Amino acid sequence: VADPRRLLRVVAGLMRASVTVSMQYRLDFVVEALSGLLRTAMALGPIALLFVHRDAVLGWDAVDVATVMGLYLVLHALLAALVEPNLGAIVEAIRKGTLDFVLLKPADAQLLTGVQQIRLPPLIDVPVGLALVGWAIAQRPPASALDVLVAAVLALSGMAAIYGLWLLAVCTSFFFVRVDNLRYLLWSAVDAGRWPLPVFARWVQWALIVAVPVGVVTSFPAMALRGEWDLALLGLGLGISAAFLVGSRVVWRASLARYTSASS
Amino acid sequence: LIGRAARALPDLFRVAVAEMVAYRAEMVIWILTATLPLIMLALWSSVASEGPVAGMSQDDLARYFAATLVVRQMTSMWLVWEFAFQVRTGALSARLMRPLHPFWQDATMMIAALPVRLAILLPLVALVIAWRPGLLAAPDPAALALFLPALALAWALNFAAQVCFALLAFWIDKADGLWMVFFATFAFLSGYVAPHALFPDWARPVLRALPFRAMHGLPTELAAGMTDPASAALDLAIGCAWLAAFVAVGAALWRAGLRRYGAFGG
Repeated sequence: VADPRRLLRVVAGLMRASVTVSMQYRLDFVVEALSGLLRTAMALGPIALLFVHRDAVLGWDAVDVATVMGLYLVLHALLAALVEPNLGAIVEAIRKGTLDFVLLKPADAQLLTGVQQIRLPPLIDVPVGLALVGWAIAQRPPASALDVLVAAVLALSGMAAIYGLWLLAVCTSFFFVRVDNLRYLLWSAVDAGRWPLPVFARWVQWALIVAVPVGVVTSFPAMALRGEWDLALLGLGLGISAAFLVGSRVVWRASLARYTSASS
Repeated sequence: LIGRAARALPDLFRVAVAEMVAYRAEMVIWILTATLPLIMLALWSSVASEGPVAGMSQDDLARYFAATLVVRQMTSMWLVWEFAFQVRTGALSARLMRPLHPFWQDATMMIAALPVRLAILLPLVALVIAWRPGLLAAPDPAALALFLPALALAWALNFAAQVCFALLAFWIDKADGLWMVFFATFAFLSGYVAPHALFPDWARPVLRALPFRAMHGLPTELAAGMTDPASAALDLAIGCAWLAAFVAVGAALWRAGLRRYGAFGG
């Protein structure tokens, strides 16, 4: 429909604007970043306790758990910094009717609403999480380049799927007034992703792969780094990602078609 | 003042219960977000699958985290967000006009939610029991007698702590962010994500001296029969001292904050 170069320019401009806005609150940034680090330290506490008592849980040792936790931190940071503020703003815009202004603009509404606001402070967890993953990779000398590549692909496709899930949750606000709680529910489901999948009952594992695909972001890559991946695992991850992206796009378009705006 | 509060309380309760019932669907989702104890149960249960961890079997852990589900639901509240919102928007002004301290109303709101929370929670607890029937054990009467005072103390400490952080909204925008830092510390050190029995020996005295144990771990361990009444009595006393400190800080913040807030409204 539109010239991709123009779209790219629009996105770059919007992101620059939202980063500039976020940078105005420097003290906020420092306070929030520091408190975020403290929260992360507390979240790592149970892991420290765990490995006081045991060398491994169900065959997952400290290195594997560090990979899972590191990827969880990256996912959580990206959700809090990029996805949640924007999709939260859509919910607000639908309620107030200001979504009309976005729809009037000559660019794709999903793209426009996706880059309106960026919160910088949560991003401090990205280097922390990546450092954990990096440490984990360095612990196991024979992690081949292919394993690392597959792990990265799985993590990224899982994150894309989670974005789709969040968009689906936002679409419900076209039909219901209060959906804040639904998003809280998603946050607490994502929380389960900080532990290896085998910890949970079989049906919970499948829920964390298919329904709230946080397992694809955290546990799948950890398995890949151990060399325990096959084409079925890779295909499952990519398939879930594609299903969520296409599905959320379809539902978003259908919801917009039914959106009657505030004025009518 | 107390007499006035006592006369107003029945009506405040009626209002609070009506509001609870009006938003029951929200309440269900809100409670389902509190699944962290179940996640932690899954984790520690896996850890204990090859044998007891720090003396705790899988049944002990299931009992502890079933108790955690209940105690946490009975003591968690959402005062910080609401109060910060009211300060920011000025909605607090209208409430200050009433002849009763606003926190009385907040307290009744939180207490009125308890029966609803408990009712929604019971199926979850039943599921845990169905999963590990071995967690059921004959209760120790002495521990059980101390449970209710400990639960009341935990509720009061949580309320007082939330009030203190809520009052920071008079000075800063990010009162709820600071609360989240406090909460993260609480979650790790109170016994919410890991029973105190799993902490190393050197950490135990520190955990007892901090306010967090009385905010969650103490009533939970009493309900699970994991602490002896004599040491629980000492924990109760430490918790009461912390409660006095929280109330004193809260009262000072309230006086100073109200002066500042008045300057806004003109």
